[in-house]
Amino acid sequence: MKAVFITYNLALSEKIEYMLNALEIRGYSQWPTMFGRGSEKGEPRMGSHTWPEFNAGIITIVEEEKVDILLQKIKNLDHVNLDVGVRAFVWDIEKMY
Amino acid sequence: MSIYSSAVKKPITTSMVFLAVIILGLYSLTKLPIDFYPEVEFPAISVITTYPGAGAGDIETNITRPLEDGFNSLSNLKKLHSTSRENISVVTLEFEWGVNIDEATNDVRNALEFSKRRLPDDAEQPMIFKFNSSLMPIMFFSVKSEESYVGIEKLLDERLVNRLNRIDGIGQVGVMGSPKRVVYIDIDPRKLESYNLTIEMIGGIVAAENINLPSGKIEMGLMDYQLKVEGEFSRSEQIKDVPVGSFMGQTIYINDIATVRDTVKDMTIFERADGLNATRMMIMKQSGGNTVAVAKAVREQLVEIQKTLPKDIKVIPIFDSSEFISTSVRNLSETLLYALLFVILVILFFLGRWRATFIVVITIPISLIVSFIYLQLSGNTINIISLASLSIAIGMVVDDAIVVLENITRHIERGSTPREAALHATNEVWLAVIVTTLVVLAVFIPLTFVSGITGVMFRQLGWIVSIVITTSTIAAISLTPMMSSLLLRLRPEKEKKSFYDRTIKVWLDKLDNFYARTIKWSLRHKTVVLFSALAIFVGSLFLIPFLGTEFMPESDESRVSIFAELQTGTRVDETAKIVKQIEDIIEERYPETRLVSSSYGADDQAGVSSIFGSAGSHIINIQMRLVKPHERKRTCWEIGDDIREQLKQIPEIVNYTIGFGGGFGGGGGGNNIDVEIYGYDFEVTNKIANELSERIKKIEGARDVSISREKSKPELKVVLDRDKLSQFGLNTATVSMAMRNRVQGMIATKYREKGEEYDIIVRLEEDFRNSITDIENISFTNSQGQQIRLTEIGEVQEHWSPPNIERLNRERIVKVTCKPYKTSMGDLAKNIQKEIDQVEVSGDVIIEVGGAYKDQQESFADLGLLMILSLTLVYIVMASQFESFRMPLIIMFSIPFSFTGVILALFITGIPLSVIAALGAILLIGIVVKNGIVLVDFINLMRDRGVPLYQAIEEAGRSRLRPVLMTAFTTILGLLPMALSTGEGSEIWSPMGISVMGGLVFSTIITMIIIPVAYAIFTNKGERSEIKTKHLAAYNFMDDENDVK
Repeated sequence: MKAVFITYNLALSEKIEYMLNALEIRGYSQWPTMFGRGSEKGEPRMGSHTWPEFNAGIITIVEEEKVDILLQKIKNLDHVNLDVGVRAFVWDIEKMY
Repeated sequence: MSIYSSAVKKPITTSMVFLAVIILGLYSLTKLPIDFYPEVEFPAISVITTYPGAGAGDIETNITRPLEDGFNSLSNLKKLHSTSRENISVVTLEFEWGVNIDEATNDVRNALEFSKRRLPDDAEQPMIFKFNSSLMPIMFFSVKSEESYVGIEKLLDERLVNRLNRIDGIGQVGVMGSPKRVVYIDIDPRKLESYNLTIEMIGGIVAAENINLPSGKIEMGLMDYQLKVEGEFSRSEQIKDVPVGSFMGQTIYINDIATVRDTVKDMTIFERADGLNATRMMIMKQSGGNTVAVAKAVREQLVEIQKTLPKDIKVIPIFDSSEFISTSVRNLSETLLYALLFVILVILFFLGRWRATFIVVITIPISLIVSFIYLQLSGNTINIISLASLSIAIGMVVDDAIVVLENITRHIERGSTPREAALHATNEVWLAVIVTTLVVLAVFIPLTFVSGITGVMFRQLGWIVSIVITTSTIAAISLTPMMSSLLLRLRPEKEKKSFYDRTIKVWLDKLDNFYARTIKWSLRHKTVVLFSALAIFVGSLFLIPFLGTEFMPESDESRVSIFAELQTGTRVDETAKIVKQIEDIIEERYPETRLVSSSYGADDQAGVSSIFGSAGSHIINIQMRLVKPHERKRTCWEIGDDIREQLKQIPEIVNYTIGFGGGFGGGGGGNNIDVEIYGYDFEVTNKIANELSERIKKIEGARDVSISREKSKPELKVVLDRDKLSQFGLNTATVSMAMRNRVQGMIATKYREKGEEYDIIVRLEEDFRNSITDIENISFTNSQGQQIRLTEIGEVQEHWSPPNIERLNRERIVKVTCKPYKTSMGDLAKNIQKEIDQVEVSGDVIIEVGGAYKDQQESFADLGLLMILSLTLVYIVMASQFESFRMPLIIMFSIPFSFTGVILALFITGIPLSVIAALGAILLIGIVVKNGIVLVDFINLMRDRGVPLYQAIEEAGRSRLRPVLMTAFTTILGLLPMALSTGEGSEIWSPMGISVMGGLVFSTIITMIIIPVAYAIFTNKGERSEIKTKHLAAYNFMDDENDVK
């Protein structure tokens, strides 16, 4: 099992939800709003007057074989509009309850 | 849950709420009365006290002064004005505007209770008289007639007045100048004396003959019969054959000693319309009635009634106040529609998309309609002020919706679904939208605090704009996102660019670039820009002396009224000749005239009307109705001035004034300048008044100079010798009664015909009572039957009646009044002040300049205060928005240039600075500052994002140019129809349109240059964040040398 942490512009929330449903990923935990900024080019999303907009975050634990499909779809989504970004980070799950 | 997310999530609820608002608004609209101005109750109360037999001086000391002393301490009293004339004292209390007049009346009544005890016993009960706008006639008609003239009174009463009175909303229908039928018995005194008869005897005999008396019952057979003696005249000719006595065996009939005439009463007041005999009919509405509706009902009724009247009777409207009201309101409604059209075009031009335009434009009707609900709830009317307010607001209501929509569009273009975009985009801007609205409110809310006559208008404007703008903001953060979520779509990138993209968009992009280059250049030449801006501002200040000032713009209501005064005491028939002369001049020289109606002379029962204005046999009032302004070349003022020239050439006319319409609700209307001369001594003040009036007449541009103190009137006084009276067994009462019977006539009895009663008047034939000798020869019979002539018991003296005593604030006063023509009131007042300074005045005389000029001064002072208040509030709102003391200053830097724009606009168009134009300048503060906020806010944003100062300014400018231009153009073009309108009544509102437009055009251009430069000057080049510079020490843990070992 792998943990996939997806951060995305809040504007993408409906699409992310749709994606998870389509890939039959049921379980996830979500941070409805988050601040953040990209390491290279990504504009800060601080929910402030200077840097408006928010990000959101989802962590979901999926089977290994789903990870690549998921990352591929996320990449597709990111390329719809590079200004409205989405990123995903994957790490191992060592134990689960 | 926030308002916008609820709105987006519940589109049906949202649309229903707004639908309900629209329905309520439209319902209110159908119920709203239409009027010219907001209803103004002139806050004045008059106390009228009669004290028979007292002269003006006695009235002043015994009645007026005690009353004035009693009233002096009343609260909110602005002016205490009084006139004391023979037999009557009128004290008028003028309160501050906005005072509850019912409470004031109670206060006056209480004060009166105290002062009453100090009045003489013989004085009659003081009468309290409240001014009311319903006393002002809304329509005048002239009833022309030829054959029917004699019997017109009855005819009008039955067929016209009674039917009109039934119309809903009519307060009163008054008829003036209708002839009254009367039977005269004109007696030849020589015959009377030779037959040893007296007027009283003849009167008694006629009365005794004209009698019907029930004289009991007679029972005859089976029946009861009423017995009556019937002596009443059934025809007026029967009077001739009444025997009045016998002389040497011969019966003397009335016919032998007198002529009996069944005719119309000798009139002292005359009405003419287009040279024909006429009767004037006035229609007053009930207080709060709908002028336009009442007038319409009257006109419709009249068409019906006209059918029932004899052919020769024509009812012609002389003055119909509703006509001017409805055309003005129609004109203004038209300008409102044009404004709407222009605003739509501007939005379409900048957005280039139908759906987006629709979403933005829909907020206009919704916001405007809400104002009708307010008007209905507050009991107001649709009037030119409320409509002009809507005109001002129309360009501003779209601003918020545009900001919201733009952001939503941006989000959609970035890939959000419309629904998400609507939610997030609104979330980002809703606070900013509310803040800019607060700035506008900071300007308009203080308007609702203005007092005085200007306040009556500004209060409504303040409320309407505030309410409309607030509604538009609410709509912008609920309806706009809701509709965007439903209507907007992501447009796929088309291969072929649309027409809009190929033309306007390219052009707008070029404009953006041009502007960015301009900023770049000005940032490098800050000093040049700053100093040239300063030079423009200071230069424009030098134009101010060339601007005229006036209180309220006057409008061409297509009416000219002439008030002319002949030598006091002139006989009515002499006056009639002059009237004919003036009528001829009018017919010859002014083909623009549609109707002339004249009235002259005074009714016997002057009574209450004498409070309002002077009337008398020597006073002429002529009303001219002109064709509509666009159908003639000359304005009513030019015609008026020509009439002045003509009147000057008639030597009999001692004084005249020309008026041009109703003015403001009877209050401080018109542009009069009053020079008030306070002083006790008549001689001294009269002399000063005359000298001043002569001097003022010589001033260029001063017209209609008149002195308020009425001239003395010649009178004849019979002075009796009491010793001789008692020798002949007479007393003053019998002599004065006998004099009255002989000259004025004795109402002996009434002649009845068809249920109407007419007076039968016995008096001397006119030839025997129209000279002093005739009067002296009048004889009386004493108890011994001796005939005594007036010369034997007294003499007739010629005498000048003392003038009325006018007082203002408990001091005697004379006013010299004049009107400006082709010059401004301010300039005229300055010139008059110069003349006043040259007049020698003794210590106890004070001269002041008052009238509308004073109102103007007070209003301008009020407006000045208002401006300071607005500026302060705007500063407060902005300082809290930017969390900075400096930013608001940078933005407010642009305000002086908006005034420059106003000055230039007024200078170019030659329109004087009036309260209305000045108001426009104040409104500008809000609009101009709004532009500045948009720009500065974005510069701040860029700098916060780490963009260097100059680059931030440049980029912010490029990106904000379109929104700024868009809001500016919607407002400017929204006002354009108002500024350009030339219809009836436009004189009043077009100055506001012109000043706001001028100011806005100019300041928008300047703002876009000067604000970036000012920003660059007032801020540091470095970081906007102050954390590192101010609290450096707190951050030194990062420095390597501070590493803890």
